[in-house]
Amino acid sequence: MRALVVEDDKDLNRQLVTALGDAGYAVDTAHDGEEGYFLGDTEPYDVVILDIGLPKMDGISILEQWRRSERKMPVIILTARDRWSDKVTGMDAGADDYLAKPFHMEELLARVRAQVRRASGHAKAEIECGPLRLDTKSARVTCEGQQIKLTSHEFRLLAYLMHHNGRVVSRTELVEHLYDQDFDRDSNTIEVFIGRLRKKIPVDVIQTVRGLGYRMSQGADEV
Amino acid sequence: MRFNSLAFRLFATSAAWTLLVLPLAGYLIYSLYRDDVQLSFDAQLKKLLTALAIDSMNTTGDAPVPPQNLYEPLFEVTNSGWYWQVRPIDGAPGRTLVSPSLASAILPSPYAKKFPTDNTGTRWMNVPGPTGETIRILEVIDTPGHEPDKTKYSVIVAGPLNWLEATVAKFRNRLTTALSLFGLGLMAVTLFQVRFGLLPLRRIEKGLTSIRSGEASKLEGQLPAEIEPLQNELNALIQSNNEIVDRARTQVGNLAHALKTPLAVITNEAREDKSPFAVKVAEQAQIMRDQVGHYLDRARMAASAGAIGRVTPFEATADPLVRALERINRDKGIAIYLQVAAGAKFQGEKQDLEEMLGNLLDNACKWGRKRVQLKAVIVAPDGKVRAKRLVVTVEDDGPGLSAEQRAKIGKRGMRLDETKPGSGLGLSIVSDLATSYRGSMSLDASPLGGLLVRLELPAV
Repeated sequence: MRALVVEDDKDLNRQLVTALGDAGYAVDTAHDGEEGYFLGDTEPYDVVILDIGLPKMDGISILEQWRRSERKMPVIILTARDRWSDKVTGMDAGADDYLAKPFHMEELLARVRAQVRRASGHAKAEIECGPLRLDTKSARVTCEGQQIKLTSHEFRLLAYLMHHNGRVVSRTELVEHLYDQDFDRDSNTIEVFIGRLRKKIPVDVIQTVRGLGYRMSQGADEV
Repeated sequence: MRFNSLAFRLFATSAAWTLLVLPLAGYLIYSLYRDDVQLSFDAQLKKLLTALAIDSMNTTGDAPVPPQNLYEPLFEVTNSGWYWQVRPIDGAPGRTLVSPSLASAILPSPYAKKFPTDNTGTRWMNVPGPTGETIRILEVIDTPGHEPDKTKYSVIVAGPLNWLEATVAKFRNRLTTALSLFGLGLMAVTLFQVRFGLLPLRRIEKGLTSIRSGEASKLEGQLPAEIEPLQNELNALIQSNNEIVDRARTQVGNLAHALKTPLAVITNEAREDKSPFAVKVAEQAQIMRDQVGHYLDRARMAASAGAIGRVTPFEATADPLVRALERINRDKGIAIYLQVAAGAKFQGEKQDLEEMLGNLLDNACKWGRKRVQLKAVIVAPDGKVRAKRLVVTVEDDGPGLSAEQRAKIGKRGMRLDETKPGSGLGLSIVSDLATSYRGSMSLDASPLGGLLVRLELPAV
């Protein structure tokens, strides 16, 4: 899962990046409006945290332009402007949720999870895939009740596949959604991680669709 | 017309003046007329007396002779009030002559009653006549042939005083009627004058009312020169009032922005750390966060409390809120039903209505299961409430609150200083906002199963 944080306050930006990173997201960051707009317009994010009061370009304009050019990723507005008129403006501009500062990081993470889940079509906090169960709240994966120990890269890969179970996910898509923009994008690394994952979970859960990508089998949503 | 009003003052002074002057003028005219009538009556009596004296005394004999012509036919009519009489004085023997009108009666002599003479040698006396009515008697003492050594005769002419009085009374009645009508006319003119003269003030009053109700943003129209400066000053005041409110809002917003981001940083930083110091910081930051929110809300409220004449259409305000909240809660699949009386308008700031509705709907969406209902109706003024009211209800089908819980929250919402921030329901700010508009908030159980919040607000 890739997240973008657009926040001009350096400390808050750092806290958000840390918290999201700890929760298993690959995080890109922008400190002003123009940079934030550019990233959101070019990179495929699974969720965006957007401040309203930004230098160079305000959050509402950024959001409107994204939506105009059909960028549909979930956007959570994070702002000190907590009047309902501000919230309405934000929601009308195309935001998916709105969180007023000061906020609790747990609250933000919960909302981020909810948006990611909703975008991939899951209603519950837990996603099941055959014997596998992903608890999005605690960022843990269990296999038939047993917790599986995963590195953060492995977790991200598995979580992304489970969020999009039932369809084929290409290697390119995985690369785009799993690593932040500074990561060296070599699609071979994906195969390496898939290999490692298959050693930790039942082998047939992740199916390789030749020439297309990967697919999770026995997704609960398919039944 | 109110007692303490310009119109009353003008009208009262004018009326007082009229009430004082008209009777005085009436009395003066009446006196002049009465004197005039009296004088001409006296002059006529005097003329008759002179004629009688000349006619009866112009004789060479020792006795008076009956007058030939006295020019007054009423001397011939019995008891007409007009009499003459020639009679020797001091009981001396001699001939007595009387007018036919006197029949057998004898007129008393002013001489005998020792009335003084005037400078022409005439005596005047008012006495009851033969029929009991008051008559005025004139008398000269003369001798036949005007010779001093002959017997002295009292020559008397009398006329009816009640005739005089009747004439004067008739005049007085007419005068009173005329002056009363004139007085009423004056009052009517004054009333018209006052109304017409004060018409521009009425226009100011109307203008101010429409400013308060938000129909106009300033005092319109061409007003008379005397109150034009007032109009200009008022307009300037209204404008500066609006500017102050807007400025206060902006400053409060800026303060909010400036404080909240650092607070968010501190809170998050402190919660990462588990040392006692960090715990303390987190705890204090939480308090600061609550306090900042609490007082910023109230600062905004104070700013809007001074605003004059803003009107907010209800539906246009509620619609975007409902849209936003449905979007925020779309995973929950909650439906917000909106039922608003056509043309419902809130008399107050748009932002304040948004805050109230936003908080209430947000709560309802949070607690409700599938259905939230927002209704707004206009309640016409009745005996208890003078102004039109906008009654808003927000209800949900959630678990609701028990009667005790409702009573507790309702009570806390009543007074601002006891309302601690962070009640969790956001109802305290709603209640405070409603109160600041002289409205009210009350809680009840909804037929849908959850909480029903009822707001009464001023409408236009």
